Amino acid sequence: MASLTGASLNFTSLSSSFRRTQLPLRGISNVKSVSFPSLRMQPGFRVSCMAKPETVDKVCEIVRKQLALPDGSSLTGESKFAELGADSLDTVEIVMGLEEEFGISVEEDSAQSISTVQDAADLIEMLKEKNNA
Amino acid sequence: MNIRCFPRKFSSALPPLVPLQLPSPMETHLWYILPNEVKSVALLNQYSELLSPCERENVNRMGGDQLKKRALLARALVRTTIARYQTNCQMNPRSLKFRKNIYGKPEVEWKNDDNFSPPPLHFNISHTSSMIACGVTVNVPIGIDVEGKQRKIKNDIIAFAQRYFSPCEVKLLTAISDSEIQRQEFIKLWTLKEAYVKALGKGFSAVPFKTFTIRFKASTIRCFHLPGNSVSEASEVIVESSDDPKNLPNNWQFALLEVAASHYVAICTEKDKIVGGEANRPMKLTVRKTIPFVEDVCVSGTDAVLVLGGIIEQ
Repeated sequence: MASLTGASLNFTSLSSSFRRTQLPLRGISNVKSVSFPSLRMQPGFRVSCMAKPETVDKVCEIVRKQLALPDGSSLTGESKFAELGADSLDTVEIVMGLEEEFGISVEEDSAQSISTVQDAADLIEMLKEKNNA
Repeated sequence: MNIRCFPRKFSSALPPLVPLQLPSPMETHLWYILPNEVKSVALLNQYSELLSPCERENVNRMGGDQLKKRALLARALVRTTIARYQTNCQMNPRSLKFRKNIYGKPEVEWKNDDNFSPPPLHFNISHTSSMIACGVTVNVPIGIDVEGKQRKIKNDIIAFAQRYFSPCEVKLLTAISDSEIQRQEFIKLWTLKEAYVKALGKGFSAVPFKTFTIRFKASTIRCFHLPGNSVSEASEVIVESSDDPKNLPNNWQFALLEVAASHYVAICTEKDKIVGGEANRPMKLTVRKTIPFVEDVCVSGTDAVLVLGGIIEQ
């Protein structure tokens, strides 16, 4: 598991530096997407793509709005949707908000595996990279 | 009110739980708590004593007093309600064990004693900020969902429906010009779809919302009922596959209720094949408002329960 995380960290830093020069990342991102689909099914498995802080912030903003969290209430990457009081309709609304904000499409089984803000941000990064590949 | 759950070394005396008769086949029991009616901190602390350490931890992790209270009441409702249905001996709500099936649906883990035959009891819970509900059946699975009538949808309703609902349902919602009525119909549809998926118990990815349509159909059923029973012959609620509408999974029955004038409650149960007879018998329903250890009020047949859909006998 540690080596996978290490590898994906490298992919992310590679991809952010190469994206502008459009070097083909197809090989690397294909490997990433092939290894993960079955793991995605496991509840609680997190793809540590180390989402950018801006992504995490944006997710927090959408969650705050959806759940009408009081100003000043603590909200971090580790915050769990259920513990913030999100029910299933809230979660689906949040996912829809994320889809619209980031131009991605989240499948039902991926949506089910999201339990924290970080999970959502990581999934967004993964889907954005798939879109760009 | 600072609500914190902590295990107490000496349990204060809790009054005994009033035992209950199991629901009969084709009968559903619906229990609900209105959290605003439970104000006693002492009572809440007594509820917390019923929880497993794991449940208490989960309650304590919830953000804020209101969420902690809601989580606590949900566990207390499930434990006390199921404990009351024990016919062999009085079960301690504290000793009930729960687990999740392979798809994540919660169920009771009955102990494996020689002398103990577990009741064929099924349950499902749902909660919103202002209502916690638990549905109970025998022999057949049940799913329930509760939503506040006034719940506002943050996204555009039609955009949401286009993303998650079936084409048939989108058409129905689009045809409603009054935005308030559209919002209400959306919520009713959501609760029915949730209840169906929860009854199936295979998780949301197994039966994506888009793959099935729930709709109302004028009832053509003639129900025989005893004088004194009230049978609501509102529209029947049916579910059909989006791709293959003729292939109707007709072994599920639904109820859509407006409860306490404030919430929509959808119930979905499997029809009991063992009971036999005509396929379309009414769902017998008993609805009780409760505060565990304090009171039960049967509200079936009163203004507190309005049948919006389904063939229901109260």
